[in-house]
Amino acid sequence: MSEQLAAAQAALVDALVGEAAVPDGFDAVRLATVRRALLRKRAGEAARAWPLLAAALGRRWPAAVAEHLDGVAPGGSLRDGWDVARALRARGALPSSAAGELAEREAGWRHDGTSAPTRRRLPAVRRGGGHLFVQVGGRTHRLGGRGA
Amino acid sequence: MQGTGVGWRPEIAGVVADLPGLGFCEVIAESVDPAAPPRGVVELRDRGVPVVPHGVRLSLGSADGLDRRRAEHLAACAAAVGAPLVSEHVSFTRVAGRDAGHLLPVPRTREALDVLVANVTTTQAELDVPLALEPIAALVDWPGEEFTEAEFLTRLLDRTGALLLLDVANVHANALNRGADPRAVLDALPLDRIAYVHVAGGSEHDGDAAAGDPGVYHDTHTDAVPDEVLALLGELCDRARPAAVMLERDGHYPPAAQLAAEVTSIARTAGFRDPRPTSPAV
Repeated sequence: MSEQLAAAQAALVDALVGEAAVPDGFDAVRLATVRRALLRKRAGEAARAWPLLAAALGRRWPAAVAEHLDGVAPGGSLRDGWDVARALRARGALPSSAAGELAEREAGWRHDGTSAPTRRRLPAVRRGGGHLFVQVGGRTHRLGGRGA
Repeated sequence: MQGTGVGWRPEIAGVVADLPGLGFCEVIAESVDPAAPPRGVVELRDRGVPVVPHGVRLSLGSADGLDRRRAEHLAACAAAVGAPLVSEHVSFTRVAGRDAGHLLPVPRTREALDVLVANVTTTQAELDVPLALEPIAALVDWPGEEFTEAEFLTRLLDRTGALLLLDVANVHANALNRGADPRAVLDALPLDRIAYVHVAGGSEHDGDAAAGDPGVYHDTHTDAVPDEVLALLGELCDRARPAAVMLERDGHYPPAAQLAAEVTSIARTAGFRDPRPTSPAV
């Protein structure tokens, strides 16, 4: 339709959610404000998809999202929260209740870390937060209490 | 469609259903499966409450063209809920394989106007009902713009025949963030094209003067409606009273009584009669 305008729009998106420089003529301070606002909005949306994770982090949730997702293209609230949960688990900072939420998701869904999560077709078992999550035929069951 | 409405969201479905004298509601089009619309929305429709699908990801301003499947989905949503009209934004969210996940402004230039006209016209061809277009709250402006927002919008509506969905909170936000007088903006807008009006909450963030940041007003939809926005709704009604006005809330939902009180404030400011229970009086 309009290649020049499409390129300019792409450059604006890259500057807001990617790592690209501020395009010529834009107010850099305002763009930085928008960038922070977008991260806050993503944190709110991801909190709805990952209620236990967001609740476990409490007031630290928006900062955790900003730390892990700044510069990462938006991938939807399911994936955004998933990436934050995995990053926290990798450094041993994932609270127990959130570990259960992550294990439940990982039993039911496959997430390669780079594209949108998809439902598993085969049964899977994951352990987290003191529970065992068994997914068969698309339904995930929680087994055992603490220490199971 | 007339009276006071609310943006229907699953989290507040019960509150919305219980609001006395609900005139209409809006539902986010992307959250609707036309084959199985949310039960709460179907119940409102069956009660005779008009339901308006409101698109947020059609990206009418994308310079690399429209995703026709999304336009078809919007049309299917309208048919599924028997909508009197649908609405979308003067904005782009996607381009060239990228997704900002957010409504971004298009430059107010002839080139972008042609893009919008083409995409809006294509969308209208899919729809069996009118389309209303909503100007967004934008924190940034493009360099080299050729029109004011009112000039740009008037040309867009004239060339497409689309209606106007005016968000008074967006007018407030843009005027504040651009250092303009929101009443002068109202005077310049094509108010005779209004289909309905949005009212939403937001919050002011202090800037960092040392970094040249004067602070901004964020149109969050997660805060209470500020008095200034209600006052601007009053200013709008003094100029051209809209038939339908609604509250948009997208998170940090307040208790039911508080939400209902905001809806009542909007109805009173718009000069509508106080909402009354729909059950017949004895």
